[in-house]
Amino acid sequence: MEAIKPIFAERCYACHGALKQKAGLRLDTAANLLAGSKDQVVVRPGQVEGSALLARVTSEDPDERMPPEGKALEPGTIEALRAWIAAGAPVPEKERAEDDPAAHWAFQPIELPPVPGPGHPLDAFLDVQRKVAGTIVQAAAPRSIQLRRVYLDLIGLPPTRDQLHDDRPWEQIVDELLARPEYGERWARHWMDIWRYSDWYGLGKQLRYSQKHIWHWRDWIVESLNEDKGYDRMIAEMLAGDELAPADPDVVRATGFLARNYYLFNRTTWLDNTIEHTGKAFVGLTFNCAKCHDHKYDAISQQEYYQLRAIFEPHQVRLDPVPGETDLEKAGLPRVFDDHLDAVTRLHIRGDEKNPDTGLVIEPGVPAILAHFAPPIKAIDLPYQAYAPGARVEVQEAYVRLAEKKLEARAEALAEAEMEHTEVLKKIDEAVKPSAGMFLLEEAFDQRNTNRWEMTGEGWVFEGGALHQQVVARDRAKLRSREQHPRDFDLTCRYTHTGGATYKSISFRFDASEDGQRAHTVYTSAHAPGPKLQVAHVIQGTSAYPASGRVKHPIRVGETYTLRFAVRDRLLNAWLNDVFLLAYRLPGRMPGCIELSAFDATAAFDHLEIRSLPEAVELTEPKGGDAPPGDTQTGIAVAQAECAEAQAELDSVRAVIAADRARYGGEGQADKLAHAASRAQAEWVVAKAETAFVRAHPDKRQAAEKVLAGAKAKRDQLDADAQSYTSFRASVKALETPAHKPSDYPPVYPVTSTGRRSAFAGWITSRENPLTARVAVNHVWMRHFGEPLVDSVFDFGRRAKKPLQAELLDFLAASFMASGWRFKDLHRLILTSEAYRLGSSNRDADAATLSLDRENRTYWRMNSRRMESQVIRDSLLHLAGTLDLQQGGPPLDPKQGGSRRSLYFRQSRDTKSAFLETFDNANILQCYRRSESIVPQQALAMANSKIALDQAAVIAARIRGSDLIGEAFETLLARPPSTAERAACSDDLDELDKIQGDAALLRARLVHVLINHNDFVTIR
Amino acid sequence: MSMDPQLHYAIQRRRFLQQTGLGFGGLALQGMLAGEGRGAEAWTPPSGSPEKVPAAKSVIWLFMRGGVSHMESFDMKPALNHYAGKTISETPYAYVQESERLKRVRVVVVNDANGQQRNTIYPLQVGSRPYGESGIEVSDWFPHTGSCIDDIAVIRSMWTTDDNHGAQVQFHSGRHMLDPRTPTIGAWVDYGLGSLNENLPQFISMGPRFFDRSDGHYLGPAHDAVQLKIDPKNPLDFARPQGDMTAAEQRLGFGLVGRLNHLAAGQYPDDPALEARIKSYELGFRMQASVPDIVDFDKESEATRTLYGFDRKETRPFGQQLLAARRFVEKGVRFIQIMHGGGAAGAWDQHSKLKEKHSELSLQVDRPIAGLVKDLKQRGLLDQTLVVFATEFGRTPGSQGADGRDHHPYGFSVWMAGGGIKGGVVEGATDELGFHAVENPHYVTDIHATILHQLGLRPDRMFIPGYKRLEMDFGTVIDGIL
Repeated sequence: MEAIKPIFAERCYACHGALKQKAGLRLDTAANLLAGSKDQVVVRPGQVEGSALLARVTSEDPDERMPPEGKALEPGTIEALRAWIAAGAPVPEKERAEDDPAAHWAFQPIELPPVPGPGHPLDAFLDVQRKVAGTIVQAAAPRSIQLRRVYLDLIGLPPTRDQLHDDRPWEQIVDELLARPEYGERWARHWMDIWRYSDWYGLGKQLRYSQKHIWHWRDWIVESLNEDKGYDRMIAEMLAGDELAPADPDVVRATGFLARNYYLFNRTTWLDNTIEHTGKAFVGLTFNCAKCHDHKYDAISQQEYYQLRAIFEPHQVRLDPVPGETDLEKAGLPRVFDDHLDAVTRLHIRGDEKNPDTGLVIEPGVPAILAHFAPPIKAIDLPYQAYAPGARVEVQEAYVRLAEKKLEARAEALAEAEMEHTEVLKKIDEAVKPSAGMFLLEEAFDQRNTNRWEMTGEGWVFEGGALHQQVVARDRAKLRSREQHPRDFDLTCRYTHTGGATYKSISFRFDASEDGQRAHTVYTSAHAPGPKLQVAHVIQGTSAYPASGRVKHPIRVGETYTLRFAVRDRLLNAWLNDVFLLAYRLPGRMPGCIELSAFDATAAFDHLEIRSLPEAVELTEPKGGDAPPGDTQTGIAVAQAECAEAQAELDSVRAVIAADRARYGGEGQADKLAHAASRAQAEWVVAKAETAFVRAHPDKRQAAEKVLAGAKAKRDQLDADAQSYTSFRASVKALETPAHKPSDYPPVYPVTSTGRRSAFAGWITSRENPLTARVAVNHVWMRHFGEPLVDSVFDFGRRAKKPLQAELLDFLAASFMASGWRFKDLHRLILTSEAYRLGSSNRDADAATLSLDRENRTYWRMNSRRMESQVIRDSLLHLAGTLDLQQGGPPLDPKQGGSRRSLYFRQSRDTKSAFLETFDNANILQCYRRSESIVPQQALAMANSKIALDQAAVIAARIRGSDLIGEAFETLLARPPSTAERAACSDDLDELDKIQGDAALLRARLVHVLINHNDFVTIR
Repeated sequence: MSMDPQLHYAIQRRRFLQQTGLGFGGLALQGMLAGEGRGAEAWTPPSGSPEKVPAAKSVIWLFMRGGVSHMESFDMKPALNHYAGKTISETPYAYVQESERLKRVRVVVVNDANGQQRNTIYPLQVGSRPYGESGIEVSDWFPHTGSCIDDIAVIRSMWTTDDNHGAQVQFHSGRHMLDPRTPTIGAWVDYGLGSLNENLPQFISMGPRFFDRSDGHYLGPAHDAVQLKIDPKNPLDFARPQGDMTAAEQRLGFGLVGRLNHLAAGQYPDDPALEARIKSYELGFRMQASVPDIVDFDKESEATRTLYGFDRKETRPFGQQLLAARRFVEKGVRFIQIMHGGGAAGAWDQHSKLKEKHSELSLQVDRPIAGLVKDLKQRGLLDQTLVVFATEFGRTPGSQGADGRDHHPYGFSVWMAGGGIKGGVVEGATDELGFHAVENPHYVTDIHATILHQLGLRPDRMFIPGYKRLEMDFGTVIDGIL
């Protein structure tokens, strides 16, 4: 029987043990087994044939066979079972049944145990187990080692040499460190591990995981720890800050804890993560094991898993505005809120979301085994600042400021356009006078002529009597005439299309301004689907390619063309190979130069001639159609329209604010103001359409006119009682699926919250909850002693054995709660014990102790730990005096490095610091306890990284005394060197001196070696 | 599945010791763990050497990111030419799209433009011919691979469940994108096998990665692949001083670190972390010399370099990685993972321009891969080196747009060579259209199981307490190709 039992425990107890007794059958003792199920006897001693138990475990029918999941029992097991039955099913002596699940140690109420002796209570509790085990404590560590330990533990930065000689009382030093702002940063990083902090990531610009600006939550963690906010309050704010203090962004930012679980593609995955890590982080329960079937070890049913899901079902994530910024890409506050108040939760059969149990509506709730202290769920009415973020005063002010600024800028632009127009008219007056005398420019392109041409860009080559452009690019490498051409001119050029990529265009610009903002262009394009000759314009930097300036014409690569075009005032005629192709009216003229270029093409220019156009030459007028307006006139019209639009926008912003204040704040007549806002918004739409119309290219004018007419009609048809205005979309909800877009969601959110998360937080933080405080103090203990009291830090369920120091755990947990869940009190309690100050070496250990408890289960010495990756980097910078202690703010790019503390580096799946990763950085998916690997890559990182080499030099430069070796040891390892160590260093420095004799470098090398010493990265 | 708390602590310690390569007699860990009954067979950590005589010592894992069209590479389907232009429902094989047959797929992105049924049969975009004595038909895009076909076992009956690029993660770990991340096959090999070379990491990765850039997961970061670049000057992070330090100075520095750490061991006797750190510095120092050496190809003959395609710009980048892989194999590195094709979705993702792009991509890999197989063979290394050619999924028999094929998880091909695998054989088959794996279908973890088996490990022993693995995670050894 003893051989079979472990197998039964693994495969059968979940359904037939203390947790559950399906069919009334228990298999945890032979006696229970022989008692049978509620219907039948399953084993009769001695009767192998006809045993129901054997029949079920050997059945070929998958519906019959036990166990129902996984493989069948091994033949050996079945054989052993058969043999046991045949042997008369003997009942072993002193058989123990499985304990009642509710009797599990961690589920018992936390009561303050009496301190079992004199002295510091921690030492008294630890002494109990030490006595039982017969272990004797080590001596205290040297004071400098103690100081290094407590500095690194509390603020994550080693003490300076002065601080190592601090002889004030220990308690005073501890208090001082707890009061330092760096304390919050050090411990925030621990909780960021546990709470899975991650900056957003996705694919390119698509956000798939977590949220932008999630650092607000990180700053909340740092600040909450520094102000010693109760842990109960911290949990409540993280789970339900939006319900507890809906109008206070400083509290609401805590819900970044939930927003971090956002996942664009799958709501079930998102909520599964929320449930799993809420359970593991706060109450040490593996809720996640009950997603597909009842929990195999704890009394958590599958239905209860979905009750937990129902708590979170209504919530969604959104980005709220922060004061002074309306662009949520630049700044915003990620947070949660209850959105779908009536969302129904269904149990997923076997955890398959495609297979919900539609017969059953799951109500929110917590597992029954611990439900007796759960507070009732009460819906919460929200203030308007929470559900209508656009109506917040500071948001309204920001919108007004933005609209005012826009209007101001546009008024300025209008004034400029008007001035420019006046200027231009003056210049045109001069330019339009046909130039006196003959202008002639003849260019054979035999060689470069810098007097005549300015050549820019790459790829120009003179070869064989032609100028070749050999590089295919779109960057407008150009040949620009030094001299301006006359207003009326006649240009002829022979050139060859020699190749290119897509567009294969060869261009001739005229009226070209130096800054590239204005020009007219005639070009031929050998673009395969539509080769053509085209007249185009650049007006105020914007290109236009009017249809009326386009002639389809076969242009082929490899062929030579002679292009001629003549311009008189605004009339242009163009010929190709002496065939007349186009008559066109230019929108306006300006004095300028000629430019030759190839766009996305290679070209060979053979011969060019530009001459004044004699008056005698007659040009052809284009057929029909108005000429486009002059460009500066267009400029003024556009600027006027834009100005009017900005004014309309400002009016509408003000009207919306007045309406929102009435609607949400009760100021003024809501109906009347809502109507005014609706009208103002309609006017704004009209003004926008006006601008679009004025800006429209002649070809698109008709369409723009239609839009404008539509906008006007809508405005004119507005009912006298219309209140259809839209509040500002000041906040953006995270997309529920990639098929949505932000504008699919209303800008105003539900006016109540379900209160489910508040109630859930109340359950977690109830003093009656036996788990929350135990789990928390265990985490803190582990980060001071290197080992936790309960090994499975995120699972305090039935599989967690009662810890050796269970009383101590309860003492810490009860004291923690009694102090108002204050971490600083807990640290003080732990750090003032003698146990915390013990030495970590085995060297002078009592031999018996060493053999009895080598693992240090009774804390007879301190455990050594490796610094976390962040502590390593921060310590290097701190000892060098280069650490920038500025706190908070947006994350920093780890590639940029810099000297801020490491917790401010961006950290996501896609952005990681190579140095930090090498030393077991936190896994963003789950990190309840940091790994402490020791791999060669770490040696290389410490030996070769820029940060180690650079900081070594700076640290060395700060060591000023004559005893280099002694001071370097003290600075980096917080202890003096031994004689042997001193000798080794000295020998090495002599050797090094032979290679190169720079004194500063020698010092730097010694420091670098000590940075690589085991005891630098180790907290002794 | 819940963590096993009784074992958590012990596992942490054991992993720590294993990572550091230390023997550790004082800790009664083995007994502690063995005492925890885990069914018929108690869990024990891997010993760091094969459990039985291994057929293979090393694995070269070639992964084409995206999905290679199986019908146009190693599972030619002339029926597609026959029915070209018809819809699947107009062929005698309409049943392949019955919803019951499609239900295994798990969708990550609902309503995505990818991973849809494509109904109009798209004819083959490339020809083929039989190769070798085995006469296995291979497409004209892989002529060089074809020339090695008698050393290759083609597996034509693969299937997976992700219809999008999470399938890349799935092929490496066996788990779907919507499941938690779990260790990859390389990490399990690294975990299960000890080192054959004290100067090199045992698990190396080259080429682009995307959705999952770690391997170890719950086995710990020590089992992540060490990412290398083909750059003798800087093949791995921190491989040389990022500052002004000569080799002589560095040697002195490492020497002194070692001496001081040994002296510290007098202060802190019996400190496994300290001992491990000493070893890690020794190995680190050797690694920075040995790794750059591997990717320095000057010592290779011109003929060898040409064999791997160094003479053409299209084949050189992949060829360099494969030659480095052979050199790592010679030094005893266990698992070399090489990913081909950049971009988030992977280059082998022809939703359009299938003919043009598959021609380009196959050109990049075909000659180097054949070069690798031939080179391993001529050096007598093929017998002990398992080469795997895999991809995320196949592509649809139907056309997407004018000239592409969509993702196809229901049936696709991979191949294996060397390391005790039979050559010139075909395992499994898809139906006439290449739609479903119908004969001996294999889930991706069957490849993992086969690899572990050839390395002398037992796939069913690859787990650690506290982290539940499903039957499917372990896979089944593909006996037909052994």
